[in-house]
Amino acid sequence: MTHLLPFALCLAGFAALALAMDRQQHELFGRSLPKPTTRALRTAGSAALLLALGVLVGRQGWGLGLVMFSGHTSLTAGIVHCTLIGYMRRAAGAPARR
Amino acid sequence: MKTAKAPRPAGQGIRQSMSGLHSWTGLLLGWILYAMFLTGTVAYFKDELSQWMRPELAHQTEVPDPASVAQRIADELAGVAPGSPQWSMRLPDARNNSVYAFWRTAPRTPGQRGFGEGYFDPATGRTVSARDTMGGDFFYRFHFQFHYMPVLWGRWIAGAAAMFMLVAIVSGVITHKKIFVDFFTFRWGKGQRSWLDAHNALSVFGLPFHFMITYTGLVTLMALYMPWGEQAAFKSQAERRQLTAELSAFIQPGQPSGRSVPLAPVADMVRQAEERWGRDAVGRVTATNPGDAAARVAVARGDAGRVSMSPQYLEFEGTTGRLVAVHEGVGPAAETRGVLYALHLGRFSDSVTRWLYFLVSLAGTAMVGTGLVMWIVKRRQKLPDPDRPHLGFRLVERLNIASIAGLSVAMTAFLWGNRLLPPGMAERAAWEIHVFFIVWALALVHAVLRPVRKAWIEQLWAAAALLALLPLLNALTTERPLWHSLADGDWVFAGMDLMCWALAALHAALAIRTARHRPKVRSGVQKTRSGGASDREATDRERMAGALPRKGEA
Repeated sequence: MTHLLPFALCLAGFAALALAMDRQQHELFGRSLPKPTTRALRTAGSAALLLALGVLVGRQGWGLGLVMFSGHTSLTAGIVHCTLIGYMRRAAGAPARR
Repeated sequence: MKTAKAPRPAGQGIRQSMSGLHSWTGLLLGWILYAMFLTGTVAYFKDELSQWMRPELAHQTEVPDPASVAQRIADELAGVAPGSPQWSMRLPDARNNSVYAFWRTAPRTPGQRGFGEGYFDPATGRTVSARDTMGGDFFYRFHFQFHYMPVLWGRWIAGAAAMFMLVAIVSGVITHKKIFVDFFTFRWGKGQRSWLDAHNALSVFGLPFHFMITYTGLVTLMALYMPWGEQAAFKSQAERRQLTAELSAFIQPGQPSGRSVPLAPVADMVRQAEERWGRDAVGRVTATNPGDAAARVAVARGDAGRVSMSPQYLEFEGTTGRLVAVHEGVGPAAETRGVLYALHLGRFSDSVTRWLYFLVSLAGTAMVGTGLVMWIVKRRQKLPDPDRPHLGFRLVERLNIASIAGLSVAMTAFLWGNRLLPPGMAERAAWEIHVFFIVWALALVHAVLRPVRKAWIEQLWAAAALLALLPLLNALTTERPLWHSLADGDWVFAGMDLMCWALAALHAALAIRTARHRPKVRSGVQKTRSGGASDREATDRERMAGALPRKGEA
């Protein structure tokens, strides 16, 4: 339980941040998302990451909290990245592409 | 390492020079760094590895009562090392099913100190009747002091490599100008561009960790690299001793009185410490001049749950068991060092955090590995004649194979050696290590003799096969095959088998990708290492170019 919530928050945070990026929007949706949507995604993503940091530091103190936060952010950023690669590979391989 | 082929306007100077600095610092000690990273990564599970490498020791279902274990071993040590001026033992915990103890032997010649060490069974107190092995400690020690050379030389080399790493990290961040824009970018099947994207992702995602681990790595050995401050500040023996006391829980043996008085019950002292810090918080028990009237006992707190290696210990009078001193705090400078040291070792961590350390550290290994490969990929397209590369290029290419794929083969061979070398053989632990180096040397010979592509594929397959078959070898040579360990809930052995298969799959995937890859000739002599159908790649490229204002490297 100690790790599940921060992990989920970081994962959601990076997913939102990835969707807020121009290049990724083009690859996923074929166009840029409206400015307000992008801004909302960026805010939500950052907020989720900060919340995860808050939860970890609150429960574990600064020393352990920062270490765990760094671990979770690295791992979840990697997961989001690999998911995007996998998704785009599939999209690129499908006969009808967006 | 951004490529900027066309001449750019002014202002690129710093980035260009940083890029050059980055690729050369990365390359020069890159192979050493790769080995340090990979063996260090594995060392986060060194206790589990040590258990796996001593299969004679039964699976520990629960941690035995530390107080009674301490008493049992103290009694045993009185017989094993009589008259020893000092002994010290590490108590078993959730990750250790044996007691490690070392002792000073009474000096035979004046001015010379001897040491003895051994592993003891917590249940019986007897020396462990397990095969002679360094266990996971080999990878741990190799990772910062190597082998076959004086320990201090190894540490100096490790320090130089860490300094280079620090330079590479900082210059890499400066070079990587689109660090945020490219955050989630991966361009598949584009040769150098793909390698660069992978290298960037591996570096950026783990950046806080990579920086921390490199910096704290230097801190762990700072007294060796920068002794002058200490030498200037502490002149007398007493001051030096004071410094040692701040940094470790070892108490210096004073003069023995010569009057023999038996040691008071150690179990009671451990219980007192447990009352103070909680159950299973005691890590180590040290006694000086045990059996003498001047005996002292220190019961030190373990590393679990506190991010600091600063010593916390209770000091007892050996003959009566009376608590004489409590050491629970050190000065701010010593505490800073304690925290940084602890961060590097990660011994405080619960198992999830340990896995995080392991995974991010593995990504760091891949970061160094992709960096080394990129040096080749980037330069291959600039070769005047791709069929006859110059010597330096060929050297880097071959060393890459042996130090990346070859190291996986050698590390796995070390584990094979642990299962296959006869239990009674002389110098057995040393021979396990020889096996590691012999196989590694063979991998280098193989890399030099075979064509590059074949050498990569064959070594990756060799690593995959050795890893995949290791659980089978374990089942054949021990009483603890996977089905037993799963039924017993023995996660050390089960986890080891499963991890071997996961790593075997990783190596097989790399081997298959390398084998499938057909070098493409595009825009002159450019060749790529990654696969991907070229027609799809072309459309991808058009799409990218159309969708985005910025252009790729092509």
